[in-house]
Amino acid sequence: MTEPWWISLIKAFLIINLVMLAFAYTTLLERKLLGRMQLRYGPNRAGPYGSLQPIADLIKLIRKESFFPSSAIDLPYIVAPVISMFTALAAFSVIPFGAGWHLWHWHVDGEIANVSIALIVVFALGSLGIYGFIIGGWASESKYSLLGSMRTCAQLVSYEVSLALSVLGVVLMAGSLSLVDIVHKQGTTIPYAAPQVIGLLCFFVAGIAETNRAPFDLPEADTELVAGYHTEYSGMRWGLFQTAEYINMITLSALMVTLFFAGWHGPYAPLGPLWFFLKLLAVVSIFIWLKATLPRLRYDQLMRFGWKVLLPVATLNAVVTAALVVAF
Amino acid sequence: MLHNWLPFLIYGGFALAIPASMIVASFVFAQRPAKRTRARAIPFESGVSRGGLPPQRFTISFYLTAMLFIVFDIEIVFLYPLAVVLHQLAWFGFLELLFFVAILVVAYVYVWRKGAFEWQ
Repeated sequence: MTEPWWISLIKAFLIINLVMLAFAYTTLLERKLLGRMQLRYGPNRAGPYGSLQPIADLIKLIRKESFFPSSAIDLPYIVAPVISMFTALAAFSVIPFGAGWHLWHWHVDGEIANVSIALIVVFALGSLGIYGFIIGGWASESKYSLLGSMRTCAQLVSYEVSLALSVLGVVLMAGSLSLVDIVHKQGTTIPYAAPQVIGLLCFFVAGIAETNRAPFDLPEADTELVAGYHTEYSGMRWGLFQTAEYINMITLSALMVTLFFAGWHGPYAPLGPLWFFLKLLAVVSIFIWLKATLPRLRYDQLMRFGWKVLLPVATLNAVVTAALVVAF
Repeated sequence: MLHNWLPFLIYGGFALAIPASMIVASFVFAQRPAKRTRARAIPFESGVSRGGLPPQRFTISFYLTAMLFIVFDIEIVFLYPLAVVLHQLAWFGFLELLFFVAILVVAYVYVWRKGAFEWQ
C-alpha cells in the first residue's frame, strides 16, 4: 500500500518546515539551558520568555553584511554552505516518526521515504556533508579557513568509522538496514538500548564528535582558536553552516532514538510522533547539558581516543553481538 | 522498489530549495558597506594583513588519517551486508566475519605499532 505522490509532497513540505522550526527552537533551548546552568536567564527580551529570539536572529543574520573576501573562489565559496545544509536536511527524510495513519481512504506513512538501505543513506549523506566544510574552507583562500577545514575533516573522518561500526550491533540484531524495520522489531521485542549498551555509548560519543559538539568541538573551539572552516563567512552564509551543524545534531539524535530507544513506540501508537518528539527532546537536552559540563579536549587526545579506544571497543561489540545473534 | 525513492526526491528538492533561497536572501537583503576599501576585502589574518595564500605544506598526519579512514570505512561497508544476512548464514557467516576481522586486526596492530595513530 503506497501513498499517492501529492500526499508525499504535502508531507515533505510539512516535515521540512518542522525540522527547520525544531532547529530554530533548539538554538533557543540551548541558550536557555546553558544560561540556567550558568545561573543566568538566557535570552528573555524578544517575546515572552525570549520565545521570538530565533526569528530575531534570522532577521539579524539576513540583514548582516555578507562579506565576500577578495581572494575567495566565487562559485565553491557560495555553493559550500548549500552542500552542507542540503545533506543535513536530506538525512532526516528516512527517519520514521510514526506508525502511519489512515486518513479518509488514503494511507499516510509514518516516514517520508521508506527505503531498504535507510541507514546507509544517513551515513552517506553525513559523509557528503564533509565536502561542504572542506570546499568552504578551501575556497576562502585563507590560512585559518584552510587549516580549520583540514582539522574538521580529519576529526569527522576519524569518528565516522566508529559511528558506523557501533551501529553494526543493531543491524545484526534487527537483520535489516531499513529504519522502519528496525523500529518495528524493537516494538515487538525490547528497545536495543538494553542489549546494546556498549554500542549505544560508542554511538553517542562518536556522534558528539561527528556533530562537532562539546567536548569534541575542535572544529570551532571558539575560546581557543580562530573559528575553523567558516572564518571567512558572515551573515546568512555563516548562518547556513551553523544551521547545518544544528540539524546534523537533531538528525543524529533522531537516529539514536530510532536505533536504540524504539523510535516512535509508546503507550498509544497513533500518538507516535509525540513519543518520538519527547525522546528527541531528551537526547538533544543531553547534548546541550554536555556542552555546559565538560571541558574541551586537545586535538591529539581527540584523535588518539577515536582510533585507539573507540574503534576497538566498537569492533569488539560488533563481533560479540554477532556471536550471540548466531548462538541464540 | 524504485518508487520508494520518489518521496526522497521530493523531500530532497525542498532540502535544496531552502538553503538556495537563503543564499539568494544573503545577496538581496544584506546591508552593503558604504565604502569598499581594500583592507576590508582581504582574508582574516589576526591583525596582520598580508596578500594571498603562499603555497604551503600540511602535517603528514592529515594525509595518514585520510588513508586510514578509507581503509577502515571500506571494511565497514563490507560488514553491513554480512550483518543483514547473518541470521541465514549462521556459524558459517560468523566464521567468515571472524576471518575478516582478524585480517583487519593485523592491519590495525601494524598501523598502531608504526605510530600512525599518534598525532604529531
